[in-house]
Amino acid sequence: MPIDRRLLLYINWPLFGLAVILFLIGVLNLYSASGTRLEEGMNMAPFYHRQLLWGAMGLFGMLVFMFFDYRHLKTMAWPLFWTTVVLLVAVFFAGKTIYGARRWLDLGFMNFQPSELAKIAVLIVGARILSREREPLNFIRLAYVLGVGLILAGLIIKQPDLGSGLSILMILGGMILFRGVTAKVFKTCLVAIPCLLPLSWFFLHDYQKQRIMTFLDPTTDPLGAGYHIIQSEIAIGSGGFWGKGFLEGTQSQLRFLPERHTDFAVAVFGEEWGFVGTMVLLILFCVFLYQMVVIARDARGLFGSYLAAGVFFYFFWQILINTGMVLGLMPVVGIPLPFISYGGSATLVNFCLVGLVLNVSMRRFLFKQA
Amino acid sequence: MSDLYNESEQQAPRSGLILLQALILGLFCLFAVRLWYLQIHRGEAYQAQALENQLRQESIPSPRGLIRDRNGDLLAVNEPAYALGIIREDCPDVDRLVHQIAVWTGKDYFELKTLYNKNRKRVKPFEPLIVVPDLTFAQLALVETNKLRWPGLEIQFRPRRLYRYGDLFAHVLGYVAEADEEDMSKRPNLALGDYVGKQGIELMLEDRMRGIKGLTQYQVDVNGRRLKERILKHPQAGHEISLSIDLGLQKLCMDWLSEEAGGVAVMDADTGQLWALATAPSYDSNDFSSGLTSKQWAKLRDDPLHPMQNRVIQSVYPPGSLFKHVVAGAGLRYGMIDPRETVFCPGFVKLGRRVFRCWRAGGHGKVDMNRALVESCDVYFYKLGKKLTVDRMSEFAKAVGFGEKTDIRLPHEKAGNIPTREWKIKRFGESWQGGDNLNMAIGQGFTLVTPLQVVRFFAGIANGGKLLKPLLLKDEKTVVQADIPLRPDQIGLLRQALVDTVEDPHGTCRRIRTKGVTVGGKTGTAQVVRLTDELKALKDDQIPYRFRDHAWMAAIAEKDGRRFAIACLVEHGLHGGSGAGPIIKAVIDYLFLDKVTPNPEERKAKARAVRALSLKHKEKRHAD
Repeated sequence: MPIDRRLLLYINWPLFGLAVILFLIGVLNLYSASGTRLEEGMNMAPFYHRQLLWGAMGLFGMLVFMFFDYRHLKTMAWPLFWTTVVLLVAVFFAGKTIYGARRWLDLGFMNFQPSELAKIAVLIVGARILSREREPLNFIRLAYVLGVGLILAGLIIKQPDLGSGLSILMILGGMILFRGVTAKVFKTCLVAIPCLLPLSWFFLHDYQKQRIMTFLDPTTDPLGAGYHIIQSEIAIGSGGFWGKGFLEGTQSQLRFLPERHTDFAVAVFGEEWGFVGTMVLLILFCVFLYQMVVIARDARGLFGSYLAAGVFFYFFWQILINTGMVLGLMPVVGIPLPFISYGGSATLVNFCLVGLVLNVSMRRFLFKQA
Repeated sequence: MSDLYNESEQQAPRSGLILLQALILGLFCLFAVRLWYLQIHRGEAYQAQALENQLRQESIPSPRGLIRDRNGDLLAVNEPAYALGIIREDCPDVDRLVHQIAVWTGKDYFELKTLYNKNRKRVKPFEPLIVVPDLTFAQLALVETNKLRWPGLEIQFRPRRLYRYGDLFAHVLGYVAEADEEDMSKRPNLALGDYVGKQGIELMLEDRMRGIKGLTQYQVDVNGRRLKERILKHPQAGHEISLSIDLGLQKLCMDWLSEEAGGVAVMDADTGQLWALATAPSYDSNDFSSGLTSKQWAKLRDDPLHPMQNRVIQSVYPPGSLFKHVVAGAGLRYGMIDPRETVFCPGFVKLGRRVFRCWRAGGHGKVDMNRALVESCDVYFYKLGKKLTVDRMSEFAKAVGFGEKTDIRLPHEKAGNIPTREWKIKRFGESWQGGDNLNMAIGQGFTLVTPLQVVRFFAGIANGGKLLKPLLLKDEKTVVQADIPLRPDQIGLLRQALVDTVEDPHGTCRRIRTKGVTVGGKTGTAQVVRLTDELKALKDDQIPYRFRDHAWMAAIAEKDGRRFAIACLVEHGLHGGSGAGPIIKAVIDYLFLDKVTPNPEERKAKARAVRALSLKHKEKRHAD
């Protein structure tokens, strides 16, 4: 198939550019968080080196996800779904236990986490089901769509991996809201969910309850769980209006801030670049998200719209939860900030999903091919 | 299929698009407001806090309480020790540092790394994770000169337990070691790397001896190096403990036990305080404070004589003839004998078709109770046991403290066993036989006792009938646990029999006679296995170690109002008189004559030979 020139023409270049820019900001921030001011040969250089390597792989993955026609995914939706279910079940029998949880399959050369695949599967299956819905969802249709997500989420929560399981439900839930539900369903949920939420308290592990309690009052455990929140707020707050400058953050440089290269990466950024820099970063993320809305709006066919909406929620929740946590607005949960936090496979998946929406955008004017 | 690609030109739902845009707007507003609040509204306050952040706090370990013997001699003290730790928040490259530590200390890199990985989650931020608990001075000097080049490296001073008589008191004092997960969950004040009592008194009185940690505050530079330090709270040392044990006597007992396996318990018959609680072979408590190597541990574990076993409270043995005093007591208690009444001993007794022999083949002739106890006539007790039956014998034995723990509170005490009819059915599925009564009456068969129970019972005879709780601490109050259910004159009879056993020309305990001291005693032989005729024909020296009988002796001694009871057991020591007697004699000499009788070389040589025999035997079994 010769590549149609229009394909390149219609790529959403702002989204492409923002992904690369955000990634580079992340590497720069990682460089700072790695403590380069220490004596020679004693920094955490491998972190940003490795991150650059993963970024290169991510760009390649992005190109792969742009290359084929995304509409083929429609036929692959259900096979992909069932493959994921089989792999998730296989984890229970053949899975590798790390840190007390069975989440990994040993492929020999690497450990593979089927719950990552499940996040992609739920996007594609969700887009396929929802794009067929002609009316806003009533209770029965809602139960059907949610059921698909619950199968995946249930298997993952059982591993146990509450975080990944919930994020699957949240992605699917976002897509459902995007499709819309009947007024009756909406009103019912509006009343029922806040009532049912307190019940979930009884299903939480002790350490999870502890985290929520610590979130409500971090000073109760200043050396333990509350430590992260306090230190993070100090780091960001002390950044002030202009920030302390690149590589000048005393909190992160003094290593008072834990996990500064992964979950709390934004705190380092906030300290060094101040209110101005952080607002710029926030705006970049908002524009990044807005481009997906544009793609969802302009997509040819509903399947593409829903894919874009799914990817939107994939990023939206992560940004909301991670930044909310770092700013002390939410309990501490281990969710990274896309492109900014250190993490190999996350970077790879992020770029691939950006590739997927770019794929949708570049094919928006293509008509049916023979 | 075609449907897949042939979608209508339907547009994305408008409401959905509005929702997404609203979400972006909401996200922006929420975070923008929060950032403004943190960075602008409260920015200055946080900047001030950021400066304060250069202060850190750290706890200072508290020295454990000292342990002294009854005369004030120090048994356990604390000496300075240096540990090497890593503060991971300060350390830019943990791998490299661990490598360097391995080079400095000669430890295995992978072992250190595993230790680090195992513990890193359990250490609070900015607290050192101890990887080498015990630096030598040479290592300390080496590390100290290089320390500044390794941020995150921390040398921690902490007191280390030193037992001045490592193996003399191992079973009484126990030892300390680094707290494990279980200790920390039980005692929330403990942190990783703290030392905690694991055995003996150290465990028993852990909370009293540990003390209270102090707190220090210091300022750090960019690389985590300490600049200024200020003590916020001084550590408080743990309480001092004085044992009831007498260092000299304990030393003497251990010297006499030498390399034999056995135990000695010496009890003040009026207070219950233990003046010696010796068990051999022993181990060195100090080995544990600096962390036992796997090689040392394997050696302790595989020793056929089990040095970790406290033979005075954790080992149970048939009491042999010592039990005759219990049976005689039961006879008096239930009115089954008149002590003056005589029994004729022809050297054996028949029960059905079985023949029960007296140890003296020719028989003792006519014996009354006193004579039967003094000469240890089996036939007299066979007959008495038959009359009493198991029910009365076990009831009385339990009343005088056998078959249950003495409550000395040292860990892992055993209760021993006093059989009953029900017990035998439950244990063996067989009913109690008449012959079992006879065996029980001479202390063989199913009855099992600890040396500590024996010493408590004999102290009871010495003091006129009070069973006292065995005490290990000097300041503990005397506790009467029970009264021997006999009239004073009846206890007097038992006591007189003990004295006669020492004084009488036919008595079995003549070797412990001591001028100026009223001494009583009783020997016992605890059969290990029923000897076949083939083995019986052998001379003592030729009987294989594991078939040799255990030797018992219990004694009471009194002078000038001071009364003591002593129990001694020597495993496979063959005869009470020769195996245990000299040890008891040495103890009495020490207590009343202030004389330290040295253990003669030939006895030590013999003990070594016996030990060699047991080791050889073990090897042979392994070879099979």
